[in-house]
Amino acid sequence: MLKLRPALTIGLAAAFVTFLFGGWSIVVIGLLAGAMTGLNYGQRSLKRTPREIGQEAIVPGLVAAGMVVLGGVVFSYVVTPAVGKPLAYSLFLKFGKTAVRMDYFFVLMISIVAGVLLGALASWYMASIQGLPEHTRRARLIIVLVVFLLIFPFFEQITNMQWMAAVITVQIFILLALGLNIVVGYAGLLDLGYAAFFAIGAYTAGLLNSPQIDISWNFWLVIWIAAAVGSVAGLALGAPTLRLRGDYLAIVTLGFGEIVPVVFRNLITVTLREPITRICFVGCDPVKEVRNACLYACTGPLDLTAGEKGINPIGRPLIPFTPENLFGANYLPWYFLILVLILFSIFLIRRMHQSRIGRAWMAIREDELAASQMGIDPVKTKLMAFAMGATFSGFAGAFYGSYISAIFPGVFDFSVSVIVLCMVILGGLGNMVGVIIGGILIMGTDRLFLPQMATLLKGFMTATVLPNVSHPALRDFLTFSLDPIQFRLMLFGLVLVIMMIVRPEGLVPSAERRAELHAGDEAAGAPPLEAEVAAH
Amino acid sequence: MLELKDVHTYYGNIHALKGISLTVDDGEIVTLIGSNGAGKTTTLRTIQGLIRPRHGTITLNGEDLTKVPAHEITSKGVSQSPEGRLIFPRMTVKENLEMGAFARKDKDGIKRDMERVFTVFPRLKERISQKGGTLSGGEQQMLAMGRALMANPRVLLLDEPSMGLSPILVEQIFKIISELHAQGTTILLVEQNARMALSIASRGYVLQTGEIRLQGPAARLRDDEDVRKTYLGEH
Amino acid sequence: MRIGQRVLLASVGIYLLLFFGPLAGFDLFRVIGEIANKPSTLLQQLLIGLANGSLLALIALGYTLVYGIIELVNFAHGDVYMLGAFMSLTVIGAFNVDKGSSPAIKATAIVVAFLSAVVFTAGVNALIERVAYRRLRNAPRLAVLISAIGMSFIVQNVGLFWGSLRAFFPIMGVNSAAPKAFPDLIGRIDVFKDILHIDVPIAFNTKDLLVIVMASVLMIGLRLFVQYTKLGKAMRATAENRDAAKIMGIDVDRVISFTFLLGGALAGAAGLLVGLYNNTAVFTMGFTAGLRAFTAAVVGGIGNITGAMLGGMLIGILAAFSDQYFSSRWTNAWVFAVLVMVMVFRPTGLLGESVGQKA
Repeated sequence: MLKLRPALTIGLAAAFVTFLFGGWSIVVIGLLAGAMTGLNYGQRSLKRTPREIGQEAIVPGLVAAGMVVLGGVVFSYVVTPAVGKPLAYSLFLKFGKTAVRMDYFFVLMISIVAGVLLGALASWYMASIQGLPEHTRRARLIIVLVVFLLIFPFFEQITNMQWMAAVITVQIFILLALGLNIVVGYAGLLDLGYAAFFAIGAYTAGLLNSPQIDISWNFWLVIWIAAAVGSVAGLALGAPTLRLRGDYLAIVTLGFGEIVPVVFRNLITVTLREPITRICFVGCDPVKEVRNACLYACTGPLDLTAGEKGINPIGRPLIPFTPENLFGANYLPWYFLILVLILFSIFLIRRMHQSRIGRAWMAIREDELAASQMGIDPVKTKLMAFAMGATFSGFAGAFYGSYISAIFPGVFDFSVSVIVLCMVILGGLGNMVGVIIGGILIMGTDRLFLPQMATLLKGFMTATVLPNVSHPALRDFLTFSLDPIQFRLMLFGLVLVIMMIVRPEGLVPSAERRAELHAGDEAAGAPPLEAEVAAH
Repeated sequence: MLELKDVHTYYGNIHALKGISLTVDDGEIVTLIGSNGAGKTTTLRTIQGLIRPRHGTITLNGEDLTKVPAHEITSKGVSQSPEGRLIFPRMTVKENLEMGAFARKDKDGIKRDMERVFTVFPRLKERISQKGGTLSGGEQQMLAMGRALMANPRVLLLDEPSMGLSPILVEQIFKIISELHAQGTTILLVEQNARMALSIASRGYVLQTGEIRLQGPAARLRDDEDVRKTYLGEH
Repeated sequence: MRIGQRVLLASVGIYLLLFFGPLAGFDLFRVIGEIANKPSTLLQQLLIGLANGSLLALIALGYTLVYGIIELVNFAHGDVYMLGAFMSLTVIGAFNVDKGSSPAIKATAIVVAFLSAVVFTAGVNALIERVAYRRLRNAPRLAVLISAIGMSFIVQNVGLFWGSLRAFFPIMGVNSAAPKAFPDLIGRIDVFKDILHIDVPIAFNTKDLLVIVMASVLMIGLRLFVQYTKLGKAMRATAENRDAAKIMGIDVDRVISFTFLLGGALAGAAGLLVGLYNNTAVFTMGFTAGLRAFTAAVVGGIGNITGAMLGGMLIGILAAFSDQYFSSRWTNAWVFAVLVMVMVFRPTGLLGESVGQKA
């Protein structure tokens, strides 16, 4: 009895992407949908051998891929005319500087065939490896994942999908989310000011590699310094929160999260004087300063962070024996660099999670008092959480600065902290895989879907709706007020609220988390002590 | 008359009350004794509507209270001096008592009952404008009971009135409870201090890990060997 | 911490403040010099601080009432205040009034705007409680806090969307995200110089008067309500001990809803007043004002009504002082620094409430 509903659900969700993008995305999404279907069916399969399990999953894989194809077809023949783009618009295949024009129909045919085949293949493979012993399965999964991650960027570049910018942004935020996951997910400390660490990492790296204060150190050195400065900042900003309980801790971190960008925005006339003797030693104006013992910046107040103008240009990574502009306009080197950073971070975090400090984090998350009585020092443990969490935002910040080649203070505001929090919560607190998935979903929606929806909606309005609407107010409303990108705040807000109400343990939770969070449902009305007992 | 039939109450997955059945007739003073964690407070909280039983019924003079929300139960005639007193610390004695009569609308009756409370607890009258949090333990207990009386209840639930009080105060409080009973108030008394409880009650129930182990006239319970060993500390 | 450690920490803190303070505009000598030079400016800032502080106090009351009763920082509260400003703006826009209209029309517009804003924000706040917080009553506290943050974002987006409805409300201007101009309906007639004909070194005009008087009336009204009415006492009782309140026969859900209604109403009033005072409204105003107001509530003592009023004034004065003597670009940092300091070193605030049912 083959139940096709999971395949249909996965396919439908994936079809949403091809519905918006069409074209070559059918191949990639078809593959991914097939893989997820295979994973799902493989895990639930009752068969014994990998071969049998795999075979069981082929049809569902085809179904899912089929849905994806359907989405793409609908895009091609329903959406494109509705948004005023003729179907026959052509796509390019890009090989470096040369472009090869291809007829859309041709592309569609290839994509459908490839998408379906790859989908079925992926489904079969992912399902079949579920039948293997844990170790082998893990290894195979990792290999497959690595292969995909290596091939995808080349595919994307050749087919000119124009996803790379968004993908890299997703990766940066995944790195941030992995860091925040340590603080919120592992140690249970709600940090609402995580953007501050991102800013600190970015500004550190930026200042050490830009004309702002005339330092131009190597990126590969600077990234480590940024991480180190990040962890020190984590200690500094975490220290005051140590004795505070949950919501107060959150508010204090929010306070810091607001203070840090203000600091960076306004350190544009820095003069340091000893308060009592009034001796100036940094940023001293030789004419105005009475007591001048200037050590640095002796022509006048120092413009440390360039304020709103931002720090730019920021130096790029240089790899010996490669062209200097390798990390130039091309996306690929950046993609691989951040991928390496992410993999490295996952490796580190995993090691920490499985070591004593990881267990200590879990312990203080569950019950701080009990943990301290078992010999775990809550102060050190919490500080470690903050420091480690901030380290990864140091990496992310350094990468970000170099990637954009500029840093502006307005980037690091509260919404960034909340978006990263969204990812961690959507994915499942304390679960790295969940966090990555959450990151892809949230950031993918923000950077890929919303803009694409905006473009399509605009086209739809212009081509289909407006010609039929004459009332000027309504026309203005439709063109101006309905912009999907302007609804991103609502999207993030809804994710948070809905997740908290419906599934606070996240999409990929651990079993204990789910039990812990749903125990409160029935414990209503219990006297305080007994409710506490029931909730644990 | 208050009746519980086969009441099962859960805290999440913890089965706190496992089929409690008891009755309190008009004018009686019934006691529910048992050690810590037996479920005595849970029973009172269930009656009061603070927690809803999963199975079983609670009726007051035939009216089904089982699904009635907590704030309506008081107006049906059940009021409580809860475990830990739970008086409002930043409100004055007078305001606390006024809160007790919150569900009532008869201004004259409320006034009369406040006078009555002051007669029974003259100390409260002395401290009428003092904030509840500044009262001593014994005074707070009096305030909690006075507050419960202000609801003019048909059944008065008392949860561990002796808790944290010195022996002299305990005697005082129990004397007052007896007096209240003598004046006609129906009382369900939950107590850890089994000796005092059984000395003023007419009937009693012994609660152990959520079930009623023993029941009967107070005198009989006083003489019961297990009761004497476990709850009266005699060998 | 022992007293010796405390003194040491405080001394180090003060030294660091004097050392790095000038970067944020806090140059002690310069400030003292400026004050001594022209004391009337200080008084002027005090007045501005009082006016803005009264508005902060109105918003802070909403935070403190809600925190007192369900121990939740209602993140969305500041944004509800923003909706109040937007609602007022829309209504006033519908009346088509501006500076030159007759006083009668202006007054009518303001009154209608006031009523609409207050009713609207009260309803929105209560709705938010019903939808996002009630179901999480027994959830871990952080879950509700996260839900509140989510709600704040949703409401902000509503404000952004509202601001984009130039098709239906031309007063919203051309740009959805940009600040909207609030018509200048209360003229800047100086109370002392123009009306009373007294020559004083400070400027105190009708706008300041309106804000301070209205805010005070509302705050006193609230205080009296909570102190003497049956529902007010029920609110206090529920805040002190929810279970005991239930036993008294208080419908706790209704009381909580009402608290949100009340807080929301105050926020709506503040929204109108700030529009009339500053002549501007923008969809992000709730976030900044909200944090400042929350700081005010914490400084005064979270859960304490008088504390919220006092805290509002203090933070208002601090902000005015910082704008004048430090640097307005750093004012936010100073206010949030106060927030952090108070929460770390004296979380119970000035009027020292120990909050919580489990305290």
